[in-house]
Parts: sequence; structure tokens; C-alpha cells
Amino acid sequence: MVKPVDIAFEDVSVDFDGHFQLHRIHWQLNGGQHWLVAGPNGAGKSALAAVLSGAGDITNGAVQGLPRNVSIVSYEAQAELIAAELKKDDADILDVLSEGTPVAEIIERDTRDKALANQLIEQFDLTPLLNRAFRKLSTGETRKVMLVRALASEPDLLVLDEPFDGLDVNTHDMLMTHLHGVVDTTPTVMVLNRIDERPSFITHIAWVEAGQLTHCVACDDESAMAELIQWLHLKHGQIELPNPDPIDRLPALDPDEPLVQIKEASVRYADNVVFENISWCIERGQHWQLTGPNGSGKTCLLSLITGDHPQCYVNNIRVFGFQRGNGESIWQIKQFIGYVSTQLQWEYRVGTSLKNVIISGFHDSIGLYTKPSDVQKAVADDWLDILGMSSRANEPFNQLSHGDKRLLLIARAMVKHPPLLILDEPCLGLDDMNRRLVLALIEKICASGKTTVLYVNHHAEDKVPGIEHHLALGKS
Amino acid sequence: MGTNYFNSLSLREQLEQLGKCRFMHLDEFTEGVDALKGKKMVIIGCGAQGLNQGLNLRDSGLDVSYTLRAEAIAEKRQSWKNASDNGFTVGTYEDLIPTADVVLNLTPDKQHTAVVNAVMPMMKKGSCLSYSHGFNIVEEGMQIRDDITVIMVAPKCPGSEVRAEYVRGFGVPTLIAVHENNDPNGEGLALAKAYAVGTGGHKAGVLMSSFVAEVKSDLMGEQTILCGMLQTGSLLCFDKMIEEGIDAPYAAKLIQYGWETVTEALKYGGVTNMMDRLSNPAKIRAFELADEMKDIMRPLYHKHQDDIMTGHFSSTMMADWANDDKELLGWRADTAESAFEKTAAGDMEISEQEYFDHGILMVAMVKAGVELAFETMTDAGIIADSAYYESLHETPLIANTIARKKLYEMNATISDTAEYGCYLYNHACVPLLQDFMKPLKSDVIGKGLQLNDMSVDNARLIEVNEAIRSHPVEAIGAELRGHMADMKRIV
Repeated sequence: MVKPVDIAFEDVSVDFDGHFQLHRIHWQLNGGQHWLVAGPNGAGKSALAAVLSGAGDITNGAVQGLPRNVSIVSYEAQAELIAAELKKDDADILDVLSEGTPVAEIIERDTRDKALANQLIEQFDLTPLLNRAFRKLSTGETRKVMLVRALASEPDLLVLDEPFDGLDVNTHDMLMTHLHGVVDTTPTVMVLNRIDERPSFITHIAWVEAGQLTHCVACDDESAMAELIQWLHLKHGQIELPNPDPIDRLPALDPDEPLVQIKEASVRYADNVVFENISWCIERGQHWQLTGPNGSGKTCLLSLITGDHPQCYVNNIRVFGFQRGNGESIWQIKQFIGYVSTQLQWEYRVGTSLKNVIISGFHDSIGLYTKPSDVQKAVADDWLDILGMSSRANEPFNQLSHGDKRLLLIARAMVKHPPLLILDEPCLGLDDMNRRLVLALIEKICASGKTTVLYVNHHAEDKVPGIEHHLALGKS
Repeated sequence: MGTNYFNSLSLREQLEQLGKCRFMHLDEFTEGVDALKGKKMVIIGCGAQGLNQGLNLRDSGLDVSYTLRAEAIAEKRQSWKNASDNGFTVGTYEDLIPTADVVLNLTPDKQHTAVVNAVMPMMKKGSCLSYSHGFNIVEEGMQIRDDITVIMVAPKCPGSEVRAEYVRGFGVPTLIAVHENNDPNGEGLALAKAYAVGTGGHKAGVLMSSFVAEVKSDLMGEQTILCGMLQTGSLLCFDKMIEEGIDAPYAAKLIQYGWETVTEALKYGGVTNMMDRLSNPAKIRAFELADEMKDIMRPLYHKHQDDIMTGHFSSTMMADWANDDKELLGWRADTAESAFEKTAAGDMEISEQEYFDHGILMVAMVKAGVELAFETMTDAGIIADSAYYESLHETPLIANTIARKKLYEMNATISDTAEYGCYLYNHACVPLLQDFMKPLKSDVIGKGLQLNDMSVDNARLIEVNEAIRSHPVEAIGAELRGHMADMKRIV
């Protein structure tokens, strides 16, 4: 039986450090119900879910009946944990390299049922990672650890904010099966950007928009559901890619040479092999899709190309005419690349404005350290317009929602129409509208003829016309 | 072992070297890394500084490899793993030193004599030896072969930050110097500049200094305000709060995270901004407490500076090195046994403002320590820029380590040199402040003033504000932070 949890939001307003507010929420969650919280990016879905786990300052009304043991899995919680781990790493005033907290310890902290934890670790294939530092995991692996930790704590209320994002197909299916097994005893609130992906056990949908709870719909109420679905079919007008900076500062590339040539590359650490003997040649105009299960090394392979992986120096890699490790600087490589990934989003922790984040794409920097030209500012304005963020140009980036940050980083990656555009799961955390916007932008940039696109994704439905080559990594 | 280099100089030379410090502008670095292009750089040691500097230098297009002691390689120690996991060539001294154009010594001070003695005979004629701290040259009087160029490049941040800022496209403030006795071809400055560019330091600001100024100011800063004052302050404030009946876990938390919180304000806007975070009545109180402490502690700061200048400090410490660190280890164990150290911080919430409001005495201690250290250094002939970096600028970095791991770990992670000096200071300063502490109550530490009436006398407030703002550390601080901000946030 579901534990009889009745939670009531009575005219609740919540403030999040002064940069986001939920207004006058009335919401009744009764025992036996499982809720989906949906709405556009930046509407306050995650904020509402986070209130269930005690986040924010309640400035009006009251929340009644919140159970004590609430487990939350979300980007914010994940980012917080990673930030805490990174912070520990800075501890070396002198000379100690911190190894970070191992996965086993992260999970154990909250575990109530050890046997369950062990079973989940096994199922989610985390056994080989137990002794690895949490912060060294890939995006998908981190997410899995968060999930196992939440499930093993046997919560009175389980809050899952975009739990499927970043998971490969197998893990997704397994999580779904596990959830179906526990929902009878665990009330669940789930945040998803896509209503159509909701699990069948969801009984109710809460639609959030601009910080307000605008609709509460029972899934078996057909007419109310139909009305809600209409929200998702709002059309956006014809979009055009903003021009790049007309003064092309890039050195010319040899048209006959491939952009990227990787020969029999391997990445390994003292005790583990990420992948071995991968060869990959990317010709100009050849758009590629890269797939593979969590932990198969997708991000790692891409970072050999971008130069962010230190082992790019011990592999046979030729990019943009540079044989790596012959005196070129990393900035000579990066000038040809536009890049977006979840890892970049985590690393983009500097206090700067939305507009400067886009302009920083011209300089391949995190934060802006060079005076931008008027043209660059104008191009950034065009991008803000497309993203519907013109009025927020000077707001601080680090206070945006996950989805809005992602949109800006995609604009940052595209802003210079780079010869190589690397999009590592760009649609993670985007709602339906924005996902379609991003897919349309990718399609446009593929068709422009100047940019070659490298695209990583898990969702079959996020296929982009024009991307015809495919590299699939296996589990090593 | 050589004799103390500083003491071998004439007074004129001493003053000249101590007074050497100039902020270099970005346009002085137009040659980029050219002076090091194609040269073989071999780093000794692969801890956080060694590894992260090496990663930056390599990403700037330079040829970097690591040399470790044969045992470290054979046993695959952490330093070996750090280097090889990151795709660097690792070899023994015999393998790599003879091929090196530049040898970067990034080992701890204590090992310098042994390391340099081991590698110097193998170094190529006309090559370059680089340090990140001048203790070995200045205090131990290490004599380097005449044909070798000796430089120093010292990023003023922990290794992980050196890397993180580089990856963002920026850098961290860096001090460079050339050892005048060892610049046979006059290329020392060009090499040091190129090295600073290679680590990204030129973007955040480079200070051109001397080995002497670096050592004498670094030692002074770390043993007084940076580590010593924070250690003494932690112990005294905690004991006072317990005496006043404050909940121990609360007291432990207020101190453990309080230093970090109040010095964050220091980082942004100097002592002025830190003091401005207090209410007017609290600010006046903190000002008066700081003034009183400055009078009490001034002779101690002078003694530390004098002992550093004469070499008395380093010879005492080196004697302890020779005695298997007996004093150091004993003091370290004492620290671990202190009441503050043994009380876990509570999990109550303390807002950012509460750290100021309830930590008036801590704010006063930071103010007193920063100003005294700065005054003492500049009085001793160290130029204001150096004195600023070695006092105010680094305080938040050390406060940060206390926030993470309290005193015992702070002491274990800072250099042995800093730790030794910190204990010396602490042993003298705790008894010195005894009478001052006696009458204090929880209104200045633990509970806050709790006034219903916040009014103050206008004339007194103006006087206090004027005194805070006109301290010389504020003028140089505003200028140097301005350079940083110019470069960091151009728009």
C-alpha cells in the first residue's frame, strides 16, 4: 500500500534567493496519486519539485503534510553534489591532489536498506565504479549514482526531476521497471519536459508556467488532457540563423584535409580502460551522430578532439591540420570548434551576463576576458532574440534554470558558425518547444555548408535530417 | 650548505632587492611563449602545483615531461600516477635532467637542498633552473652553478585553481623573479615571462619581484595574518564562546565557516568592505577591538619580521628539520587536541550576514592582522604590492582551508615552513591576548550586539570610516584589485 501521504500547498509563495519565485500555489497531493510536473523551460517545474524537499523560503501560505524522508534526484542536486566535490578539490593550498569521495561512500551516506542498495548497484552496473571518485564519473554515470542513492534510502516521497535524461536505453528501461515495482509503496512526483514520456503509473499532471501552477489535471480526465496537450503545439515562427562575425579571424583550413583524423586511439588509466583502438576520420561537411551506452566513453572521445582530455597528447590525432603534440596551443585548436555538453555547463560557473555568455563563444572562454566588438554584441542580440531572452540580456547567467542555461550554451557554441560543431546531448533538459527549436537550428547549421556537426544523443526522436554518418561505441 | 644569501648582501643591495616589485602590463607579454618554444621543460615533482602547471604549459604548446625519484616510479606512487594518467613522459633524474633546457623544481621547500644537489651536476651547460619559492636560494644560500640561469615563477593560488582558470581562458596572479647572481646570458626575464604566459598568469596580472622580496614577504604573511592569526583567533574565540555558555557545535560552526565568509568580503572590497558588512554600532566596536589588538600584537609582528630578516627564523626551523621535525610534529599533535578542533560543527543554519553579526571579534582580528602584517612588511622595506599579496590577498585562500577541514588539516596542507611559523606565532600570541580577552562577552563573539537602538554618533562614525578607508593597504588593494577586475570583467 502507498503510505498515506497527503500534502497540501495552501496559497504558497516561495522565494529562491531572490532570483526566482513561485506564486500563490494551491496544490493537493493525496495518497495513492503520482504526479507529473510539466511546463516550459524556466517556468518553475524544478523549483516546485524542490519545495517538496525543503528548498526555498516560503514567503506566503504553508505546505502541510510534507513527510520527513524525501529523496530528490535533480540536476540541481547533482550539480550541488559535484560542486561540493570540486570545492574539496581546491583544498590544496599547497600541494595535495584530492582524489574526491568514492561512489560507494556517496551512496552509503543515505542508504537505509543495504541489501536493496547492493541490488541496485548491481542492476545499474555501478559495481566497477564503486571505488572511483564521484566527480570523475561521466554525466550518465553520475545520474545513475544519484538514482541509486535516492531509491536505496527508501523515501516516504520520491521526487525525480528529469530522471531519464542522460541515461542510455538499457538503464532507462531498468529504472522504469524498478519504479513500477516501488510506486505501490512510494508516492512519486516526477518532473519531465516531455509529457509524452511519462510513465503509465502517473495519475496526475501539474502544469507550471511563469512560476504559477496553472493546471492540475487527472490523466483519466480526457477533455482536460486534450486542452493541456494544446499548450505543447504552440507554433514558433520561421527561424533564421544569425550571421557569424563578418570579420573572419580564423586561419584558412586546407580543403583537402579531413577536419579530424584519429588513428587507433586508446584512453586508459592505471587501472582501467575507457576505450581502445578507435579510429575516426571526419571529412568536411560529413555530419556525424555518435551513440553508445553510459560510460562507453563518448564524452571522452570528443574531448580528445577538443583537446580537453590530457591523453590527446599520447594518441595519434590530427585536427584542423595540427598533428597534436607538436607545439600547437590548445587555443589554436579550440578556435575551430563550437562545443556544448553537460560537463561544460557544470564548468560554466562564472558570474557573467546572458549576453556575455553568448559572446564568450567567439573567444572559446568560460567568462569573457576580451573586449567584444560592436558586431559581436549585435550578433549576440540576434541570438537572444531567437531564444526569447532579449529582455534578460544583462541578467546573471548562474541564476538561470538548467534548460535556459543549456539554450544559451548552444547559442554560444553556434555563434561563430565554427568549422566543427560538437553537440554532446544538446537537448538534455529542454522542453518540447525548445527541443524543436534546437533541432531546427542544428538542421539549419548542417545545411549551411560551412559547419560540420558532431552530434551525440540517446533519443531516437531527436534525429536531425542531414546527419547521415553514425559511430556507435560499445561498452569496453 | 651555503650561508644565508640575504645576509651576504650589503645594506644597499638588501634594500634594493626588498623593494623590488612592479605590476607588469599585458602588453609586456607580446612575445607569448616564444622564449620557451621548442625547449625541453622537465618538472621535478608531480603534486597539485607540478601537475597543473605542467598541464597548462603543455596546452600552451610547450614540451613538458616529469622526473621523479626512482622509488616513486618503481612503486608507482601517486605522483607517478598523476603524471602518467595525464599522458606525460615520466623518467628518472638520470633519464631526463641531462636533456632538459629548463628544470622546474616544484617540490616542497624541505626537499630543495637534496633535490637541487642531486640534479645540478646532471644539468646541461647553460640551462635554466626554476623555483616557485625562493627559500632555498635566499635562506639556505644554495649556490647554483654559474652557467645556469635561475628564475622563479610562483602562481599565487592553489594548483587546482591554476588549472581551472587556465581552462576558462584566464589565469591566476603570478609572481616572477630572476636571481641576479645567476643570469649569465641575461635571458632570465624572458624565460620567466614566457613561463608565466604558458600558465596563463599574464592574463591575471604578473608581479615582477626578486627572490629576496618573495621569501621575506611570503614568510611574514604566512606565519602572522594568514595562518598564525587565524589559528590563534580560532582557539581564543572558541574558548570564549564556551565560557559564555554558547552551544559548542554552534561555536565550532561559526568559527570554521566564519573566517571564509568574512574574508570573502575582504577579497571583493578590502578591509573597508568587510567592515561595511557590519552594522554601524558593530563596526565601531570591531574597529576599537582591532585597534586595541594592534597595539598589543605590534611587538610580536615586529619580532616575526625581524627574525625573518636576520635569518633567525629559518635557522631555527632548519634545526628542527635536522631534528626530525620534533617541534613541528609535537605542535601539530597539540593542535589536534584543542577543544575547537575536537568539536564538530553543528548542522544549524547560519546565514551569511549572521557570520558577520555574531563574529565581530573575528572581523576585528582579521582587520588587525591584515593591517599589522602589511604595516610591518612595508616598514621593513617590502614594497606595498608584495605586502598586499602576502597579507590581504591570500587570507581568503587560507580561510577556505579552515572552512573545509579546520586547523589540523589547514596545518597539514600548508607548507611545512608556513606551519612551523604558524605555531611559533600561536604560542606567543595566545598568552599575549589573554588580558585582552578576559572582559569580552558573547556580544562580540557568538551572539551579536542585539541592540534595539542602532544609533551611533555621526562624528565618531565618520572618524572610524575615515580611518578604515585611509589605511595604506586599502589604496594599493583598490589598485591591484582594479587591475584584476579590468582584465577579468572587461565589459
